[in-house]
Amino acid sequence: MRLLFLLLLTAGNLCAQGLDPQKLLHAPVDTWPTYNGDYTGRRYSSLDLINRSNVHGLTLAWAFQTHSVSGKSTPLEVNGILYFSVPDHVWGVDAATGRQVWHFSRPSQGDHLGSRGVGMYKDRLFFGTPDAHVICLDARNGKQLWDKVIADVTVGYYISGAPLVIGGQVIVGTSGDSADVPHFVLSLDPAEGKINWRWDAVPKPGEPGSETWPDSDSMSHGGGSIWGAPTYDPELNLIYLGTGNPHPTLAGSVRKGDDLFTCSIVAVHADTGKLAWYFQPSPHDTHDWDAIETPVLIDGNFRGARRKMLLQASRNGYFFVLDRETGKDLLTAPFVKTDWASHIDESGRPVPAPEKEPQPDGVLVQANMDGATNWMAPSFDPQTGLFYVNAQTAASLWYLVLNEDHKPDGHQGGTLSDFWSSSQLKALDYETGKTVWQRDLGKGHSFSGVLTTAGHLLFSGDTSGNLLALDPANGDLLWHVYAGGTLNSSPMTYQIGGRQYLITPVDSVVYAWTLPSAQ
Amino acid sequence: MGKNPLEQENAKRGAAILQQSCAYCHGKNADGGPEAPNLIRSLLVRHDKSGDLIGPVIQEGRPDRGMPAIRLPADQAADVVAYLHALLSLSDSAGDSGPSSNYSLKLLLTGNAEQGKAFFNGKGGCTACHSPQGDLAHVAQKYPPINLQARFLYPVGTPALATITLPTGEVIKGSLVHLDAFSVSITGQDGWYRSFILSGGPASRIKVRVEDPIEKHRQLITQYSNAELHDVFAYLETLQ
Repeated sequence: MRLLFLLLLTAGNLCAQGLDPQKLLHAPVDTWPTYNGDYTGRRYSSLDLINRSNVHGLTLAWAFQTHSVSGKSTPLEVNGILYFSVPDHVWGVDAATGRQVWHFSRPSQGDHLGSRGVGMYKDRLFFGTPDAHVICLDARNGKQLWDKVIADVTVGYYISGAPLVIGGQVIVGTSGDSADVPHFVLSLDPAEGKINWRWDAVPKPGEPGSETWPDSDSMSHGGGSIWGAPTYDPELNLIYLGTGNPHPTLAGSVRKGDDLFTCSIVAVHADTGKLAWYFQPSPHDTHDWDAIETPVLIDGNFRGARRKMLLQASRNGYFFVLDRETGKDLLTAPFVKTDWASHIDESGRPVPAPEKEPQPDGVLVQANMDGATNWMAPSFDPQTGLFYVNAQTAASLWYLVLNEDHKPDGHQGGTLSDFWSSSQLKALDYETGKTVWQRDLGKGHSFSGVLTTAGHLLFSGDTSGNLLALDPANGDLLWHVYAGGTLNSSPMTYQIGGRQYLITPVDSVVYAWTLPSAQ
Repeated sequence: MGKNPLEQENAKRGAAILQQSCAYCHGKNADGGPEAPNLIRSLLVRHDKSGDLIGPVIQEGRPDRGMPAIRLPADQAADVVAYLHALLSLSDSAGDSGPSSNYSLKLLLTGNAEQGKAFFNGKGGCTACHSPQGDLAHVAQKYPPINLQARFLYPVGTPALATITLPTGEVIKGSLVHLDAFSVSITGQDGWYRSFILSGGPASRIKVRVEDPIEKHRQLITQYSNAELHDVFAYLETLQ
């Protein structure tokens, strides 16, 4: 047994190589080659060595100490090596032993809020930096191959999202909301970082969407950050991504209108970057509720008809099901109790109630700025047919802040007093939006994402830092451990040498869990 | 949050000089006028390092764009540069730390104190725990208005009381330190920390009851109309 294991391990090492982009077109089985594991964003693994009947025995395989800030990235796993990042740092780590293969470090100015991870093409890795560069590394040794500036850090641009690799394209978007700037997505060529195309989240005067802004000045400061990782449908050849809030964040009076394409779900043609369709979950947002939460792609029945769908539990508290060929809304339903919208319009958009916009004397809203969910990953489990999301309910008081000239003060134009919040893991029926089961995750909020597997398991964390394995059918608790911090990221899994591993970054430590070996 | 960058001495001097020499065109908040750009959004200002870009513009002007040379002494120009960088830093971090404690009472005071009093004594059920002559006497003097508004809605800081009943029937009380699905911990009446595992075997028969004084506020916060909230605030502001 031991000999066989050694042979498998050696074979694995000899075969260590890059990632053929063709492989990404099929759902991965034993590897995790993109931020979301595959192009669909379902965060569902078909591995089942760890399953409902044995998960109670899950134990520590190894721990990797980054000596850094809390990790928000989801590692990739390709040919036995994990690749993950925090701002300014990327690691290659042996996925079976937890030993460091290499470490890339590059101190930079700019916003260090978070780095969600890396993208991979053949033997190259790509990641964004706090000073808005995209850097390409040799995956074998972490040596830098190229470095491209894609935006100006001095006006607040940086990159938090993990790049998405599609064929010979590296798709990356800009983040940041500190300095009132419009955001965009680029397609770069993996060889040198040359720009193939660019899609702007905010139109120029005269372009489609510009009619939803009062003037060219408000548009030029528009916002629309691309914080998250896009998803992709190879058949339709469409990239799906969410965009962030408009600016000034809380002061809507100087940007009357829907403010397209902020707080939107958009589909762009992968070859050209041209907009195919858009749907706006939060028209004229004044609460910082971006729509960057994972656009999850599923194929299945919707009320009797077979459909290609896109599901999003949005930060504004509504769950959306769209037809991803057309962008037409099939379902809009609140997944938490909130009160900012007056009604749902005929196109499926919640319409903001003007009296719930921030006011100088403060307005109470049943939600806070972090929203009903956030960038952490949801999951869709094809075995249960349920959509899982880490959801928050909250209450807070929102103020509009104007200066002496009655103009919005700064890029925020307001502020808020945050009171209480509580979190629940919710399992949603995508045909109705109704909660099938929920588990209380505690007071406050966490940024714990969700993973489901073919082993009839759901992994996530609660607000007290407990890591949880639940039965995705009913939420029953199957395993838990407190690992000394919080899961501020989303779990992932892979299989090497006949063993399945579960990865949970917990603050600065990456933990790998597995079942005890047979010996 | 760090210190307010506008409180630095050179930034304060720079603010005064800007009011005198620049505000006529660039606005008193440096956020632009009809003929002159917003300096906080200016790329030149954002790319400036210790005056290397701003300095020459102040001294030589931009005649092609209608800006005259201002010709400030070097130390005064440096102060203006410091003030502009302080404005940038403040603008980029604005709103991250909640409302400022000197937020204007005039802006907040939109409610009707009489109706607020009626809510306090009636529908709100506030008199079950509070009294304007007792714990709330002079409450408006104790807190800046913006903090009073937040505190009456959600007064954090009062610990919850936990009553733990063990499978043996023993009852232990203390102030709650932590509670999740798997454990509870308290500071007991003797001042010592204690914890109890809640999951698995006999542990699952441990009962925990929590009395959290904030719970009523949490319920009420989901029920206020916006008018009621501002009425109650106006009433509390009368308790000087």
